[in-house]
Amino acid sequence: MHSLIRSYGKPLTSLFVCLTAFWLLVMIALPQAFMIEHSLWHIDRDDQLGMKIDRAYSEMGLVEYDLKAAKTEKVRAEFQTRIDALKAQIAALEAQETEPPKIYGIHNYTKMSELHFTIFLKSIVFALMVTVLALVVCYPMAFTIAKLATPYKAALMMLGLIIPYAINELLRVYAWLMILDYQGVINSALAWLGLVSFEAKTWVPFLENPGSVFVALIYAYVLFMIFPIYNTVETLDKNQLEAAKDLGASTWKTHMRIVIPHAKPGIAVGCIMTFMLSVGSYSVPQIMTRGKSGDWFSQLIYRQFFESQNWNTGAAYSFSLVIVCLAFILIMMKSFKVGIRDIAK
Amino acid sequence: MRGKNVQLENVVMRFGDFTAVHQTNLEVNAGEFFSVLGPSGCGKTTILRMVSGFMEPSEGRVLIGGEDMTGKGPNKRPTALIFQNLALFPLMSNWENVAFGLEARGIDKKTRRNKAYELLALVGLSGQEMKKPSELSGGQRQRVAIARALAVEPSVLLLDEPLSALDLKLRQHMRAELKEIQRKTGVTFIFITHDQGEALTMSDRIAVMKNGVIEQVGRTDDIYSKPLTPFVATFVGENNVLPGRVTNADKDFAQIETAHGIFRGRNQDSLKPGNSAMLFVRPERAAIVNGTTPDNAFDARFERRDLEGAFVNLHFRLGDNPFIVHEANLRLHNGFDGPIQLGFNADDAVVMASGEVNDDA
Repeated sequence: MHSLIRSYGKPLTSLFVCLTAFWLLVMIALPQAFMIEHSLWHIDRDDQLGMKIDRAYSEMGLVEYDLKAAKTEKVRAEFQTRIDALKAQIAALEAQETEPPKIYGIHNYTKMSELHFTIFLKSIVFALMVTVLALVVCYPMAFTIAKLATPYKAALMMLGLIIPYAINELLRVYAWLMILDYQGVINSALAWLGLVSFEAKTWVPFLENPGSVFVALIYAYVLFMIFPIYNTVETLDKNQLEAAKDLGASTWKTHMRIVIPHAKPGIAVGCIMTFMLSVGSYSVPQIMTRGKSGDWFSQLIYRQFFESQNWNTGAAYSFSLVIVCLAFILIMMKSFKVGIRDIAK
Repeated sequence: MRGKNVQLENVVMRFGDFTAVHQTNLEVNAGEFFSVLGPSGCGKTTILRMVSGFMEPSEGRVLIGGEDMTGKGPNKRPTALIFQNLALFPLMSNWENVAFGLEARGIDKKTRRNKAYELLALVGLSGQEMKKPSELSGGQRQRVAIARALAVEPSVLLLDEPLSALDLKLRQHMRAELKEIQRKTGVTFIFITHDQGEALTMSDRIAVMKNGVIEQVGRTDDIYSKPLTPFVATFVGENNVLPGRVTNADKDFAQIETAHGIFRGRNQDSLKPGNSAMLFVRPERAAIVNGTTPDNAFDARFERRDLEGAFVNLHFRLGDNPFIVHEANLRLHNGFDGPIQLGFNADDAVVMASGEVNDDA
C-alpha cells in the first residue's frame, strides 16, 4: 500500500483501490451472495389459501344474515363478535396471500426430486468424460505445436485453432448440428455410399446420443484445454526430451516421466476450465439435443428461473453446481499437487 | 564398462545449402579422451550429434565399435550425452535422475536404486541422493549429470561443453575430475569445447575444427608444438604472427622477409622463395635479448606488462604488429627506455604458407 502511494501518489492509489474494491464487491461477492441468499429461503405457499378465504367470506355472509334476523341485543352482540373474528381471520389470510412468508432453511437443497438428482449426477459424469476426452485430444496437439513443429508450422496450427473462435459459439455449435443431423453431412455421406436411406429413415441418430454433445463441447472448449497445456509444455527444455531419449527412454516413458509431470499445472488448469465450462454449458446441449436426448443440469436450472419462475430452487441448483466446480478444483489441485500460484501462472 | 572406438567415414552434414561438416574421416580410439576443439559454429556440435544419433549424416556413416550406426536412434546407440546445460530432470531427485536410464530399460526399482547410489558415490555425492538437482551447486549438478550418463554403461561418453557454465576454479577442478572418471571407467570420452586450455589439459588427442573442416588431429603436445595450419597455430595457445614473403629456403629452414625485418624459422610446408608466408613464434619461446644473440633479433617498442601470476605477458610492438613475450615472474619491468632488443631461435619458430588465422583474441 505504502509503495503504491509512493509510486502513484494518493489520488491515483485511492482510485486503484476503489476500482478493485468495486470489482471485488459488485462483480464477484454480490452476485454470489445474492444467489446464496436466494437459495436459502423459500415461500411457503398454502395451496388451500384461496379456498380458505372463500370459505371464511361465505361463513361471514351467513353470520351477517343471522345478525339481521337476530331479535335480542345479546344474540346480536354474539354474532357481531363472530363477524369481527372472521374479518380478522380473512385479513390475516389475505395478508398471507399478498405477502407470503419467507421460510429460511436448506429446503431448496433437500427437495430435489430423484429425476433431477439423476440429471445432476449424469451432467457431472458427462462433463468429466468431456474433460478426459478433451485432454486426450488436446495433449498430443499441444505437445506437437510446442515441441515438434517448426516455428512456422506451429504458428499456422495455432492460427488454425484460433480462427474458429472468431466465430460466435452458437454458430460453431450449429455447424456441428448440421454435420451430425439426421440429414446432415455425415448421414448424407453415408447415404451417398448407400449405407443409410433417408426415405426409410434408417439414418444414424447421432443427435440422440450424448456423444454428439461431447463432440460439440470438446470442439467449443478445445482452446481452453490446449492453451494452458501448450504454455507449460512450451517452457520444457528441449534438451530434457533429448536427454531422456539418449538415455534410452521410449516416447511413452518420456511423456510419463518428463513431459506430463512438467505440464501438470497446465493440465490441471485445462481440465478445470473445460470441466467448469462444459458442466455449466447451456447452449451446446440445448442446441445439439433439441429434446431428443436427456436434459443437462444447466437446462434444468434455466427452467427453474425462466419457466417455473422458481428463483429460489434455481439459485439452489446453481449453487450446487458451483460447489461441484469448487470441489473439482480442489480435487485437481490435490491430486496434481499444484498450488493456487501454479494455476494462476 | 569398456570404451569402444568411433569412426567417421566420409561423413558430410548439410543443412539445406549450408554445409556444416565437410567430408570428414576421423577415428577416435577406444578408451581415449578425445576433444573436438573449435570456435562456435565450426561444426563440432554437429559431429557430436551425428555420433549420438540425434542427426543422421547427409553422406557417409558413423561406426561405433566397428558397428554401423546408420538408422539407429540415440536410444539405440551405446553412447551417452552430457548436455551443455546438463538437462537434469528438475522434478526428480538426484538418484532418480541417475537411475532414469535404467528405469527406461525396465530394471526393477531396488536394483536401479542401488546402482544410482553407487554411481553417486563414485562422483562423490553420497548423502545427496534424495535432494533435487536444484538444491545442489553447479559442480555437484555436473557430477549428477556424469553419473546419470554413466548409469547406462555407455561405451562412448559425449560431452557438449559441460564445463562452460562453471566458474574458473570449479572448471579447473572438474577438469581433473573428468579425467579421473575417464581413467577409472575406461569409457571413450568425446569432449566438445571451444576452450583450448580445457582441451589441452584433459585430452589424449585433439581434433581442431574450423568452418566444418578438421584442420588437424593429433596428440595434445603435437597440436601445441607442431601446428600444421595458421589457424591451429593461433587458436591453440598464443602465437606471435609475422606475415611476409619467403626469400630463401632449404629443406629445414626458410627465411621470410617481413615489414619489420628478416626472420628464420622451420620450413614446415617446404616453401619456395617468393611464396607468401607467415612466421609463428610462441610468446614463451621469445625473450628479451640478454647476452648471447639468438638466430633472430630485432628491436621492438615496449607497450605494457600484464601480470598473470606465475608469469607476465610483456606486450611489444613492431610498427603496428603486436608481439608478446611470456616471462617467468621473476622481476619487475619498469624502466624500459626506447627500443628493446627481442629475439628467438630459428628452431623455435615455424614458417607456414599464409592462411586464415584465429582473430577472436
